[in-house]
Amino acid sequence: MKILVCIKQVPDPEMPVRVDEQGRVVRPEGDLKYWMNRADEFAVEEAILIKEAGFGTTVDGLTVGPEHAAQVLERAMGMGADNGVHILLQEEDFLSPLNTASYIAAYALNKGYDLILTGVMGEDHMQGQVGAMLAELLGFPCATSVIFERIRDERGAVYVEREIEGGLRAALELDLPAVLTVQTGINKPRYPTLSNLLRAKKQKALVVESHILGAAKDREKVVRACYPGKSRAGLMLEGCGKDKAVRLLEILEKEALLFCGQQRE
Amino acid sequence: MASLEPSVSINDKTFNIMKQAIVIIAECRSGNPSPVTYELMTLAEKIRQAHPMSVKAVVLGDEVEKASQEIAEATGASVLGIQNPHLKYYSGELYKDLLHQCLPGMNPAFVLVSQTTQGMDFAPGLAVRLGASSITGVNGVSWDGNNLCFSRDAYNGKIVLEILPLMEATVLTVQPGAFKAMKPETTATPEPVEIRLSTAESRNTRSLGIIRCEQKDASLAEADVLVAAGRGIGSRENVALIEQLATLFPRSAVAGSRPVCDSGWLEYKKQVGLTGATVSPGLYVACGISGAMAHRVGMQGSGFIVAISTDPNAAIFNIADVCICEDLTTFIPLFIEECKRKKKGPV
Repeated sequence: MKILVCIKQVPDPEMPVRVDEQGRVVRPEGDLKYWMNRADEFAVEEAILIKEAGFGTTVDGLTVGPEHAAQVLERAMGMGADNGVHILLQEEDFLSPLNTASYIAAYALNKGYDLILTGVMGEDHMQGQVGAMLAELLGFPCATSVIFERIRDERGAVYVEREIEGGLRAALELDLPAVLTVQTGINKPRYPTLSNLLRAKKQKALVVESHILGAAKDREKVVRACYPGKSRAGLMLEGCGKDKAVRLLEILEKEALLFCGQQRE
Repeated sequence: MASLEPSVSINDKTFNIMKQAIVIIAECRSGNPSPVTYELMTLAEKIRQAHPMSVKAVVLGDEVEKASQEIAEATGASVLGIQNPHLKYYSGELYKDLLHQCLPGMNPAFVLVSQTTQGMDFAPGLAVRLGASSITGVNGVSWDGNNLCFSRDAYNGKIVLEILPLMEATVLTVQPGAFKAMKPETTATPEPVEIRLSTAESRNTRSLGIIRCEQKDASLAEADVLVAAGRGIGSRENVALIEQLATLFPRSAVAGSRPVCDSGWLEYKKQVGLTGATVSPGLYVACGISGAMAHRVGMQGSGFIVAISTDPNAAIFNIADVCICEDLTTFIPLFIEECKRKKKGPV
């Protein structure tokens, strides 16, 4: 069985992000930290679990991104993926989900993948489109928000449960090849092992220049970025930690939300 | 030869306003339209203010008559029901096939879908098949007299992006709760509902039904005060701090965001948000929670919101009454100490 896992490198969401006067998203100069998109980490783990269950599985990790995105392939291989594929972008620019999906589809076409996994959503732009678009471009069946899967090898199919609203799951079976987008919490992603990381360093990912694959024409344009409005007072407490603690206590007492003077029964 | 039919120009595209339509894909639960369907109607109205077009709705399912009738009566939109015996359960493959068959004939300039697990499953693929622009997570619309842009959150809700669609047709998935459900239109005379029967089957997927695996924690709904932990608490050990803070309040409980539950620091039944519980306690103390939409939708109805985060730009501060930009591992002990001191002291 041949599995492709699509992995995005995203900036650490705790890092500051600002909007400049032209309405563009900017990041302060300096050390930008990147990591593997969380949902994709679960997708890598799920692929490794399938590999460990047998089926003569090989796992390829793939990312679309600039040079520094190679880090996530190293991590995926450190977790146990066999190979890395880096679709290299020349610039850091915002790439539309259709563009990303088109690059992946152009690479994956006729490579004989039985299963393509990716995370349900990228935590930076939160669009949740690449997996579903990739399936459509390749003509594969697709299930999103997958919280459980089992390969039914004898049937050439995969059984999945999708997490839907209201504490429910939708169960379905998909013929292989198929695309699944994986929901966080489906498993417990492992840490990379040292021996796998050393192998990853030596092995190097296959690099494919994105322009060879051909870009899709943009169908949307980000015209400007801005800050969201406030829906409540948003009183920012000032002073040192202790000042803020005192002030918070006063506010909660005034709002009758905390009764310090009262003995609890 | 110029067309005699009225047309307007938006986003540098000429729309034939007699022919083009806004098409709403209704979402139903047990044969009834979900409230999100009427929220889509509100967005359709906003688009129509910029640019008048007819509004149509499509209902898919194994029994569509009742829901189609209800939508037609409530909104005055013309409704197409597609009844297929294989749609007892949602099937992404069948949805895409059936919509791809009927939509081109309706000339949609905009196709509106709810951003639910169902909408997100078929909308991006449908957009690819239609050659349409695709924008997910839409929570606003703006019109400057020339361009119609749609806004969506990015970076955990810290930034809003305004996006301009460039294609003839655009598929939008719309954030539930972002638009208030339209009041039922009582004056409009409903157009007759059209029901089409279909027996098409999906080729590569088989829907097997719905599994209930609800994990509910009554303590979340009953609590007057919820102290909630987010990924920003940093480690499992710091859950104890959150618990200590909660014990200061009578009738309180500890809750968490999805990443905290995914990490196993709290049980899933403690999860608040889109895929967890929706709560509205008197006081909600958000500790280390970034405030992405997925969490906000579960707690924004709380009476009073206090947010503690080290990130001064955290989106949670936009919906909080009181914001504390501090490291919670130092701030919470300070606050607990302050409470104890006050309790002991003269009243």
